[in-house]
Amino acid sequence: MRMNKSKRRNQGRRILVGVATLALGLFGLSSFQRLWLDAPGSARLMSIQDIDQTGDACYRPVSTDSPASPEQSLFAAFETPSVYAQDAATNEVNRPPVRQLMDTAPTYSSVGVDLAHDEVYLQDSNLWSIRVFSRLDNTKPGEPPTEPRRIIRGEHTALQFNSCVWVDPTTADVYSVENDTGNIIAVYPREATGDAVPKRTLTVTHRAYAMTVDPATNELYLSVQFPPQIAVYSKEASGKDKPLRLIEGPNTGLSDSHGIAVDSKRKLLFVNNWGNIADLKVAGTGRFEAPSISVYDLKADGDARPLRVIQGPKTQMDWPGAMSIDQDSGDIYVANDVGQSIIVFRTNDQGDVAPSRVIKGPKTRLVYPVGVFLDTKNKEVWAANFGNSSATVYPMMANGDVEPLRTIRSADENKTSLKFGKTEAIVYDSKREQVLVPN
Amino acid sequence: MHGFAYDPIHDEIVVSSPLAQAILTFRGGASGEEPPIRVIQGPHSQIQGDYPGTGANDRVSIDPVNGEYYLFSTPNQILVFDRTGNGDVAPKRILGGPNTLIQGRSASGVDPVRNLLLVNSRGKMMIFDRTASGNVKPKAVITGPKSQMGTVETFQVYPPKGLVIAGGQGAFIGAWSVENPGDVPPLFKLPAKAITDYEPLGIAIDPAHKEVMFVAAASARSHPKSGIMAAVMTFSWPEIF
Repeated sequence: MRMNKSKRRNQGRRILVGVATLALGLFGLSSFQRLWLDAPGSARLMSIQDIDQTGDACYRPVSTDSPASPEQSLFAAFETPSVYAQDAATNEVNRPPVRQLMDTAPTYSSVGVDLAHDEVYLQDSNLWSIRVFSRLDNTKPGEPPTEPRRIIRGEHTALQFNSCVWVDPTTADVYSVENDTGNIIAVYPREATGDAVPKRTLTVTHRAYAMTVDPATNELYLSVQFPPQIAVYSKEASGKDKPLRLIEGPNTGLSDSHGIAVDSKRKLLFVNNWGNIADLKVAGTGRFEAPSISVYDLKADGDARPLRVIQGPKTQMDWPGAMSIDQDSGDIYVANDVGQSIIVFRTNDQGDVAPSRVIKGPKTRLVYPVGVFLDTKNKEVWAANFGNSSATVYPMMANGDVEPLRTIRSADENKTSLKFGKTEAIVYDSKREQVLVPN
Repeated sequence: MHGFAYDPIHDEIVVSSPLAQAILTFRGGASGEEPPIRVIQGPHSQIQGDYPGTGANDRVSIDPVNGEYYLFSTPNQILVFDRTGNGDVAPKRILGGPNTLIQGRSASGVDPVRNLLLVNSRGKMMIFDRTASGNVKPKAVITGPKSQMGTVETFQVYPPKGLVIAGGQGAFIGAWSVENPGDVPPLFKLPAKAITDYEPLGIAIDPAHKEVMFVAAASARSHPKSGIMAAVMTFSWPEIF
């Protein structure tokens, strides 16, 4: 039956009113609320209704003192009313995720070398493992990832988000520093494999990062990020043994300390810092300082001033990581993480100085190198790459964009690691439809 | 970093720098070594964190509608800053004290439609007036055995439905009504750990695609069977949108 003219007019009026309402509503919304409606797949006009022809009939939530009730909220006109839980059972879903983002390959955070047995130890913070390879392993282009000789991995290993592996050149014991809530250094015998229980653990301060040992005194030096300190223990310390010495305090210049190295010959301690510092007991004292390497006497204790500091833009330091020293030549090798390089300083450098050598460039295959180890026996320098599941090794005197002598690769050739550490936050960027995950 | 935020209105990313007691704001499209466009830091900011026993200043959230940042700070308080603040600026408001029930490292979120500030502390979701200040009691609290409210590094608020999407005890993601607080079960539940073997630490939502995502990292007491210790999971969850 055909609609009569008056009904068509009324219907047309209602349609116009509905469209007008929608238009006024959209323009009347804040930008924030518009986002909810403008985004793809968002609410659409589902119904129309007659409204008064007089006055402003567009409601918008008040923005200051009075919370808008659902009846006043424009959303109420387009959305189904909230369901109150009092009378409703919990609606539980059990569907699988539509997407999963995870890295199946190891992520290497540190490298150590057992020169007596020609083995390379790679600390993996993604799969919580230590992977042991032959020093001479070399994954050539086109080859599948190299299988390790041994893997220490499992619930009983006490490995977590470990940031440093160090091999005792005398005993071949393997030390591993846990950087997060584990708060330990775990020690394994050389033959450890699988889900191995550490032969001992040492409870250390939260946020320990790297360690080294002075072979002359058998003292273990441990860097702690924050509150920054250097804790010195006996190499055999275990359980809740206290440090022998503690370098900490405002005069030390320590600030978010990371890499550490000992020059046993010159009796010097080297620590690199990222520059994030505050007096944690006093609000509003935080500041950002340039990254640095601070140098101390090996026997420094308490609030000891550094003997000298290497710091400034010429140094190219950018999130400096592990360090390793050639005690004969006095060269300090630094894994320069975000700088995508290995940079080399002299032990007597001071101030804003350029590195004497820089290994950097696409041929090097350095991708966020966080670990470094100097092998003075074989005249090689190793890097652990956080960004591509590999370790690369170069001639000790390498400089510039040089190819590695060998590569130990634990993923496909063009691997780009997710670089997930302990991921605890996530944000969705609705503008770019991207997920942001901080490391 | 345990909590940061994206501002969709101004296209900015806000993060805390806990070791340097600062709040950094970046362009939404920032990449590489791009410096922040604003930094809140200094004695007037009163930002303090990482004092042992009271938690770290590593959770910041944003109310893009009213242009405010919310930062948990030692001791057990939420500092509220103007979004455009730069340099050594004081907070506009400070919410803290024993009456607030804010205790330990706490995440926060705002419902700008209802003008509410939500703070998640140790199994409680406190609901305040958005402009609450000082040592005031929350208007309401979602907590209790029926609620199964847990604690999570970041949670989300979905104002169109009056929902807070947060972590529940037993490592699930739940959606509770902010209009029906108390010891009330969640309206919606996604048993995240039971499905994925990962415990949610941070939660994000994408209402346009009706999806919820969470990030997880293993711990000494929680080893996922996959052996992969960090992951992001995305679920389709149209029921809550």
